[in-house]
Amino acid sequence: MLTAAKNQVRVCLLSIKYNIMREMVNKVTFLTNVCFMVLNDASILVQWFILFRLREDVGGYTLREIMLLWGLTAASFGLSRILFARVFSLSELIISGKLDSFLVQPKNVLLSVMTSSTNISAVGDLLYGVVLACACRPGVGGFLLFLLFTVTGTVVFTAFALLLGSLSFWLVRMDILQSQMTMGMISFGTYPDGIFEGISRFLLYFIIPVGMAVWLPLHVIVNFDVRTFFALIGYACLLSGAAVAVFYRGLRRYASGNLMEARL
Amino acid sequence: MRKYAVIYQSVLLENLQYAANVAIGFFTYFVFIFIFIKLWGYMYRTPEELIAGYTKEQMIWYVMMTEMLYFGSNANVVAGEVAGDIRGGNIAYRINRPYHYTLYILTKYTGEWSVRLPMYAAVAAVIGAVMVGPLPRFRLITLPVMALCVILGITINAVFKLCISLFSFWIEDTAPFQWLYNKLILVVGIMFPVEIFPKALQPLLKLTPIYTVCYGPAKLIVDFSPAKCLEIVAAQVVYLAVGCGLMVLIYRKGVRKLYVNGG
Repeated sequence: MLTAAKNQVRVCLLSIKYNIMREMVNKVTFLTNVCFMVLNDASILVQWFILFRLREDVGGYTLREIMLLWGLTAASFGLSRILFARVFSLSELIISGKLDSFLVQPKNVLLSVMTSSTNISAVGDLLYGVVLACACRPGVGGFLLFLLFTVTGTVVFTAFALLLGSLSFWLVRMDILQSQMTMGMISFGTYPDGIFEGISRFLLYFIIPVGMAVWLPLHVIVNFDVRTFFALIGYACLLSGAAVAVFYRGLRRYASGNLMEARL
Repeated sequence: MRKYAVIYQSVLLENLQYAANVAIGFFTYFVFIFIFIKLWGYMYRTPEELIAGYTKEQMIWYVMMTEMLYFGSNANVVAGEVAGDIRGGNIAYRINRPYHYTLYILTKYTGEWSVRLPMYAAVAAVIGAVMVGPLPRFRLITLPVMALCVILGITINAVFKLCISLFSFWIEDTAPFQWLYNKLILVVGIMFPVEIFPKALQPLLKLTPIYTVCYGPAKLIVDFSPAKCLEIVAAQVVYLAVGCGLMVLIYRKGVRKLYVNGG
């Protein structure tokens, strides 16, 4: 059992490694993609400098907290798209019947699908997120919490995308909803939760789990609370468990396409 | 010109067939507008407060209009198509046809946004009326001038994005340059009116495409004045002429670099 799990992890890591190596074949394109993504993310800071010229806080956040929020969102989303980029286009894979080539492999189907692609510009997102967090000087404890919540954020982003993508086993055109909901989640995640109130705040914590992916972790980094800390880890485990269960439940309904495809 | 009119007509008819697909994008548009309504709702302490000369309603309407232009025009299709044609080699077939490639792309694009933009404008009007309230100084009589300004703004944006994509003749991937251009337009032009930036920066910003692509059309919709209108349209005409000149120049130089390997 343990050997099988070890082998599976090894296969996943190799898959990610080869994805990255494939993207790095053209070094100039790789470097341009990464550097320009960092610049692309950094340019949004202009917006916050302007808003903080108008008021001392935005939604109860200081500039440092906004930068930490941005860092956490960028790093979590970046890591999610480096390791599990295919999850974000899972709907398309299911709708077009392209899961066949994964089903015949002697390894875990879901993990094979998830690790079969890497978005290389996401390396820029991850780098930017970590550098921005360091620039905020959160201290050693704060930085370790940042790294841990980057992982839980990655799990929440990936699980949410997997959950939505898996609904394609039952519903048509989920590809559009999946991409819009995940992008919506990122958009909300780059603004402070203090500007939302009432039902919208509830929705952003429990239906589109932006709150659990970035807002609440940020509150824990700023003001550590042990109960919230464990609640966040529990939530990430619960959501990923639910997403995996929905995927395998849906997989029973999967109808193969007539597409001949080989994975090399 | 007749051949371009035929291209426009056929693309328009094709896009009208799939108009319902445009509605799918309304969700993302709504998310952005919702965020900005909440954000500016927080930034304005009192309903009467003015920020950079804008009331809260004007500021939200400004963002709604610039976002409408961004989503309704979807200039990324121009960038994607041109870069894809050059990288994939499809351009070898297209440059031999009896039209100028860049004008063909622009005409095709105009046919596409002619369906999208009015739909987004209608959605923006409904969201604005329901969630923000009517625009205080909006006069229906000024609509034709605003429409002209919007058309010029969208075309200038497409020309600049096309210019960037044409660099695919030299470099493999122009997407990162498109991101930066998009971000410049998004952060500086779409989210804020020029007046909100420090006074020293404002003359510089007026020289960038932001002034003609987003600020100009949105400003006229939110706060119309004949003098401002004349200034913006004049700047747009100059920008369009310069942009088209650049576009033709880059295309001519780029086509000479083209190697056709067969296949």
